[in-house]
Amino acid sequence: MKEALLEYANTFAYTITGLIFGLAFFLLFINFYHMQELSETYDISTYNDTNKASVEEKVNIIKNNINVYDQSTYKGSLNIYGLNTIKLKLEDCLEIIESEDMMKYFELDEIGINDSYNFTVDFKNKILNDCLVMQVKSLFNTDTVALLPNFNIIKPYVELNLETLLDSINYVQSNVENSDHYYFSTDTNKTNFFNLIEDSYTDTMNSYQNSLNLLVEVSNWYKGIVLGG
Amino acid sequence: MKKIFNGLFYVLKYILLIAAFALTLFILIRMNVRLEKDIMSVLPEFIPFAVLLILFIINMFFRQSFVNGNVFYNLTCCLVLSTIVCVSLRSIMDTNMVLNAKYGYGVDFNFFDNFIAYIKIMLYGLSIANVLFMFKKEEKPKKLKNA
Repeated sequence: MKEALLEYANTFAYTITGLIFGLAFFLLFINFYHMQELSETYDISTYNDTNKASVEEKVNIIKNNINVYDQSTYKGSLNIYGLNTIKLKLEDCLEIIESEDMMKYFELDEIGINDSYNFTVDFKNKILNDCLVMQVKSLFNTDTVALLPNFNIIKPYVELNLETLLDSINYVQSNVENSDHYYFSTDTNKTNFFNLIEDSYTDTMNSYQNSLNLLVEVSNWYKGIVLGG
Repeated sequence: MKKIFNGLFYVLKYILLIAAFALTLFILIRMNVRLEKDIMSVLPEFIPFAVLLILFIINMFFRQSFVNGNVFYNLTCCLVLSTIVCVSLRSIMDTNMVLNAKYGYGVDFNFFDNFIAYIKIMLYGLSIANVLFMFKKEEKPKKLKNA
C-alpha cells in the first residue's frame, strides 16, 4: 500500500513538473515572439511621400482661400469681425499642421510601434483637439460668424464631420496600448485582419487627411462668402 | 553527459532563483512606491520564492539525490526561473512597449502584472513537485538471476 502511494506521488510529481515545463516553455517563447513582433519596422517611404504631397497641396489651397480676404482692402458688406475670426482661426490651424511636431512624421522612412503610437497621440492632441475642437468648433459658436451667409448650411456639415473625426482613432490608440499584453497578433492576423503597426499608422493618416479635407471645405466656404459679399 | 548537464542545471537554478527574486523585488517595490503603498503589502508575493528557496536548501543539506539528481526537475526549474528573469528584464528594458514610454516609470507594470499569477503558479508547482520527489521510494538493487 505504502509502495503504491509512493509510486503515485512520484508519478504525480512528474506530471506537475511536466505541466510546469510546458507552461514555462510556452511563456518563454511567446515572450521572444512578442518581443520580435514589437521591434518590427515597416517601410513607409512611398506612402509618406504621397501623403506629404497631398498635405502640402491642401495646405496651399487653404492658404490661398484665406488670403483672398484682407481687412485693409476689403470693401464688402459682411461683418469684418466674423471674417477676421475665421481667418485667424484657420491660420492657427495651419500653424499647427505645418509645425515640426506634425511634419516630422512625413520625414520617416520606417515606422515602429512607438512611431505609430506617437503619431496617433500627436494627431489626437494637436490636430483634433488644438485645431478642430479649439479653433474650428469654437469658430461656429461665435456670434459674429453666425451672421455670415450660408452659415446654417456649413455648420451642420462641419459638426457632423467633427463628431466622426473625434471618434475615428480612439480604437487605434487603445489597440496599440493593448500591444503591451500578450497575443499581440499572429501572421494570420497580420495577413487577414489588422497589422497593428502599419494599419494603425494608415488609419491615423486617413483621419489626418479627412481633417484637412474638412478644413479645405471650411476655407472654400470662406473664400466663397468673401468674394460673393 | 547526464551528470554534466545535471550539475550545470543544479548550479544554474540557484543563480537564476537569486536573479528572479531580485528583479521581482525591484519591480514590485517600485510599483508600491508609485502607489504609495506600504512595502509590507508586497511580502505575500514573495512567499513562493521563499518556499522554493527553503526546499532547495533542504535538498542541498539533506543530500536528497532524488531531487538533486533529477535532470528533468532541474531543467524545469531553470526554464521557469529564466522565464521570470526574461519577463522582468523586458518590463524594465523593452522600450518598444508603448505604455512603458507613456507613463515613464521606467518599469512596465501593465506587462509585469499579467505575469504575477503565472509566476505563482509555476513556483508553487515546482515546490509541490519538489516535496513529492522527496518521498520517492528507494530503488532496490536488481537481483542477479541464478545461473
